[in-house]
Amino acid sequence: MTAMPDPHEFIDIGAEVAGIRETLARRRWLVVSGLALVLLALFATAMILGDYPVTLPRIVASLLSPLTGEAQRGIDFIVLGVRLPRALVAVMAGAAFGISGTLFQTVLRNPLASPDIIGITAGASTAAVAAIVLLQWGGGMLALAALVGGLGTAGAIYALAWHRGVSPYRVVLVGIGIAAVMTAIMSYMFTRARLIEVQQALTWLTGSLNGMQMKDATQLAIGAGIVGLLLIPLSRAAGTLELGDDMARALGSRVERARFLLLGLAVCLCAIATAATGPIAFVALMAGPIARLLLGPATGSLVPAALTGALVTLGADIVAQHFIAGVQLPVGVITGGIGACFLILMLIAANRSGRTS
Amino acid sequence: MRKPLLTALLAFGLSTVPALAEWTYIDGGGKTITLPEAPKRIVAHANAAAALIPLGIRPVAIYVDSPVADDMSLKGLDLTGIEIIGEAWGEIDIEKLAAIDPDLIVAEFWPLEKAYSGMEASAAADATLIEGIAPVGGPAQGDSIVTLIADYEALAASLGADLGKPEIAAAKVRFEAARDAFKTGVAAKPDFQALAVWAGTDALYVASPDGSSELSDFKAWGLDIVTPETADDRGYWETLSWENADKYQPDLVMVDDRSATTIDTAKAQPTWTTIKAAAAGAVTNWPAFWMRNYKVYAEQLEHLTGVIAATDEHLSER
Amino acid sequence: MSQALPHLSRSRYLAAGIVLLALLLLAIALLSLAVGARAIPLGEVIDTLLNPEATGTNATIMRDLRLPRTLLGLVVGAALGLSGAIMQGVTRNPLADPGLLGIHAGAALFVVLGIALLGLASLTAYVWLGFLGAAMATIIVYAVASLGREGATPVKLALAGAAVTAAFSSVTSGILLTNAVTLDAFRFWQVGSLAGRGNDILFGVTPFLALGIVLALITGRLLDAMALGDDIARGHGQRVMLSRALAAVAWIILSGGATAALGPIAFVGLIVPHAARAITGPSYRWILPYSALLAPILLLGADIVGRVVAPPGELQVGIVTAAIGAPLFVLLVRRRRLAEL
Repeated sequence: MTAMPDPHEFIDIGAEVAGIRETLARRRWLVVSGLALVLLALFATAMILGDYPVTLPRIVASLLSPLTGEAQRGIDFIVLGVRLPRALVAVMAGAAFGISGTLFQTVLRNPLASPDIIGITAGASTAAVAAIVLLQWGGGMLALAALVGGLGTAGAIYALAWHRGVSPYRVVLVGIGIAAVMTAIMSYMFTRARLIEVQQALTWLTGSLNGMQMKDATQLAIGAGIVGLLLIPLSRAAGTLELGDDMARALGSRVERARFLLLGLAVCLCAIATAATGPIAFVALMAGPIARLLLGPATGSLVPAALTGALVTLGADIVAQHFIAGVQLPVGVITGGIGACFLILMLIAANRSGRTS
Repeated sequence: MRKPLLTALLAFGLSTVPALAEWTYIDGGGKTITLPEAPKRIVAHANAAAALIPLGIRPVAIYVDSPVADDMSLKGLDLTGIEIIGEAWGEIDIEKLAAIDPDLIVAEFWPLEKAYSGMEASAAADATLIEGIAPVGGPAQGDSIVTLIADYEALAASLGADLGKPEIAAAKVRFEAARDAFKTGVAAKPDFQALAVWAGTDALYVASPDGSSELSDFKAWGLDIVTPETADDRGYWETLSWENADKYQPDLVMVDDRSATTIDTAKAQPTWTTIKAAAAGAVTNWPAFWMRNYKVYAEQLEHLTGVIAATDEHLSER
Repeated sequence: MSQALPHLSRSRYLAAGIVLLALLLLAIALLSLAVGARAIPLGEVIDTLLNPEATGTNATIMRDLRLPRTLLGLVVGAALGLSGAIMQGVTRNPLADPGLLGIHAGAALFVVLGIALLGLASLTAYVWLGFLGAAMATIIVYAVASLGREGATPVKLALAGAAVTAAFSSVTSGILLTNAVTLDAFRFWQVGSLAGRGNDILFGVTPFLALGIVLALITGRLLDAMALGDDIARGHGQRVMLSRALAAVAWIILSGGATAALGPIAFVGLIVPHAARAITGPSYRWILPYSALLAPILLLGADIVGRVVAPPGELQVGIVTAAIGAPLFVLLVRRRRLAEL
């Protein structure tokens, strides 16, 4: 079914052999700390790069200024008011998309089943576009519209896919259908709106980190933090579900309930992040598979996926801001490109290992 | 006057001394901006720049909703030495803006959106972030380009512009003459009626004269412009299927000129010529939403007056 | 369901169905000439149909707007239905749809590049760009998916389609976001519409689509063999690669041409083959002609609805097909296992 390495392939044997287990744990630790280090380096880069000339010591001084009380008005504004919240939102939204996508892929057992493919993102986007075009909403109200749209669409997909239980396969199919309708509705609104609103909507739709402020970072931290906490006791159930319904049932897991709760939390995470930044393309889809490629046979892909999502988003934003002369692109343009390269690499890797679908 | 006040303040033991020339501006959004002195370093939205540059106020930087070459309002203006800090809608380079360290950012206020040009809600560049760098203010979009220009004149004067300069005064005189000629020309043809449209491949969009400042001006000066029967929820446009393109029969069709291809799109439709005026070639441009100074307004009015004079006011009745 | 019926009577019953659908299509086509955003009395419709010399606004509308639009709806509808059926047959992927396999994104990118770089503004110019983009996207998707020993499997095709869509769409957004003029023109193409397409587009795409339709109908027999699975087909001596290539050429011509002519149309290519299969059973010898008739019925029907629901304006056909197609699709997903192709 999947074109990717299956993390549970070796579990049954691995559980028997302590040595293998230890190797896997070490690999996981290496992956997590490696990702964290790269993320830290990128974060520093994001703080240094910019059109406003600031030296590294002054950035550090500025970051410490709440403690030291040494204010430097212009620099503090750039460092604390512009660069820091932007980088923080990139990290948090990326992590939220990464976890959300990985949960979807795990629970629905399909590498394509990320919220951007199965309609959740499209639902949030349609609500946001409607809010921009029909109601001229912005800021907090716009985020709220996206949140409600995402959750509502998820509920609708779940209800429509319900037929004596919910098969992952039907969820994916119904989701794709819903996504197509939402896209059509958005296209229609685009023809009816004033051009300036279309531009506004398109910027939002591409996913942008421009103009992020501390309050955005704080809101995102609170929302994603709460969902993250709720997720901790459920993360073991995610692994069990990955083994398949029958296996999970045999292991005593209440399949339907676990699936419902995990998907619910994944939808919340995706909707919260989408509300903050707009749908940043493909982060949710690729974070999990990249993390699993790095982990190899080791298990527990949620934390590495979160780090990967954060890394991709922050890295893409740095490229979008600084590496194309003259234009500042929304981060989603770059993540879309990275996503495409990633999918092609995935195909080639699948070919090399001789796996079939 | 100043001295007794100073003495009084000192007597009250206040440490701050009011600036000698404190600058105050009440903008179109009703916001009062007070600065210790008249702002020197100004960053302007393209439309504001198009109004201010002819009045002698040169911004240090501008931001544009599109590439500069595509912006109708900036056509013909000398932009040498002016930094461009944004060439896409909602994309203002905050870091460049902060590095410029402006005293004031001039952008028009949109009453419906309750926002400034390029900073509409959810725009990528967030207004509050920009206002952390310098105050944002400007005239409000209203129902007349003339009022808009007058608001810019007041702003420019407070910024130190000399509106008495010969070329500035001459532009205004030329505009007033053009306006009077327009009124006379329209009055001479009491039955004349115009229609303002934008043409797409899917439909013909009929503009409501109340939805655009320049159409409101034309109407106020006597030109009869068709008011669409059922405009959309905000009163800007009525959408006509090309099958119903002949719903209104004016003597002159004015086509939105923000994009040069709009007229070609119109001409490619088989039913474009079911509008008799279009069939007879009584078609001209509508300078839609972009005029911001007397020079271009005068040019456009002179052109339109000429077109009206040359057009048959009973064309639609035949 | 009808497997129990003797072969002969089953064929007869299916052949009768084709005649019935053809009649229904004819009726819809006539309706499409008679009904529109502008109310034209039936008498005048008939007069104009009988008298090609008729003049006047109503005659202009019927001859220059509704006639090309109806004919284009017929041809493009058939193309969409057939392309969906072929692709579902070749890839054995129930979701094979122009949008999912990169066609829409490829066409969109080329149209946007044409507007932005070459300053093109006419639908006629978009047609050739859209066609080029669609063909390029398909070739890339197919090439990428064919890497490796086992060739283009369904999941690899879907992934390759998603990858190409992502790559093309991000370039498209990048251009649109920095270029308002292009966005302004593009947003009206992107919705998918039959309105404003005149004779030039009709005459431009019809030869291609006709060729594609013929190719598609030929592949029916090959598809039946391939539906048994590659290994079995190979065992039966079918030249799998050749038939795949033939089907791919037909697919590029049909879906590329359709997207080029109307812009992206969702659901028609996806839903119609499933509906056809529900009637005919698994044989592509029947699925293909049924799809070729059902799709234009759906497309023209949707267009007629779009013309009358929002007077004095119109609703684009792409919106209506999405609105009609989505519930049908969900119904299908709930009722049948779509994977059983």
